[in-house]
Amino acid sequence: MGKKTCWAIIIFTISVNVVMLQWTIEAFLGRDNEFVLIYSGIGIVMAFVAFLTYWNWRKIEYKEDK
Amino acid sequence: MTKECPKGRKAKQSKEDMVNLIDNVEQKDDLKYNRRAFLKSAVGASMALGLATVPFSVRAMMGLAEPDHDRVEIVRLDQLPEGESVTFYYPTENDPALLIHTVEGNLVAYNSACTHLMCPVFYQAEKDVLLCPCHKGYFDVNDGHPIEGPPQRELPLIEIEVDNGVVYATGRQYRHG
Ligand code: FES
Repeated sequence: MGKKTCWAIIIFTISVNVVMLQWTIEAFLGRDNEFVLIYSGIGIVMAFVAFLTYWNWRKIEYKEDK
Repeated sequence: MTKECPKGRKAKQSKEDMVNLIDNVEQKDDLKYNRRAFLKSAVGASMALGLATVPFSVRAMMGLAEPDHDRVEIVRLDQLPEGESVTFYYPTENDPALLIHTVEGNLVAYNSACTHLMCPVFYQAEKDVLLCPCHKGYFDVNDGHPIEGPPQRELPLIEIEVDNGVVYATGRQYRHG
């Protein structure tokens, strides 16, 4: 996975997470408990994806340095 | 003028040695606001947004395990003529609700906290509509859905039951209709 791809994935997770946070709150206020769990699950998965992607990017980025 | 500037690292590349004095003046900023730092903040933001949903899902899970509601007596039917409404509390003491005997003769009940900013809503018999005076929100009395003004969600519906001339509250539905 190239560095460009990592950037793209991370930016993508941000946009997904903004939407998920919004939807989670909306579902929470409407007491749609199942939807709260679904959206929040997606949010957490995306947070993990962002982190793993970052890890990967770090490896590539700092390897070049040496 | 000497040809070798002892301090400038790129002195050899330029003929004007004064030019080299501004080289790397912004070194601190370069170290702080660069591509790598930007990506790191982006990752942090993404994770913060994702994890910010966790408290909501924890609360939602607690809500799923909530026990069923009790059956609570509200009022005797003969004390509530058509076009009148009565306030009661359901399912807890902190949830005000309104039982309405509409001008058409239907019995309906909703939690009376407006879904906009929690002001109490009232029944307006003349117009047969529920009114929230705070920001002029109107709700349909027959299904509790907002018809005008800022509220976006319907009022929670209280399920009722008439038994021997007494009205009971038996449950609550958040999303209905
Ligand atoms: S609180 Fe009811 S309309 Fe604003």
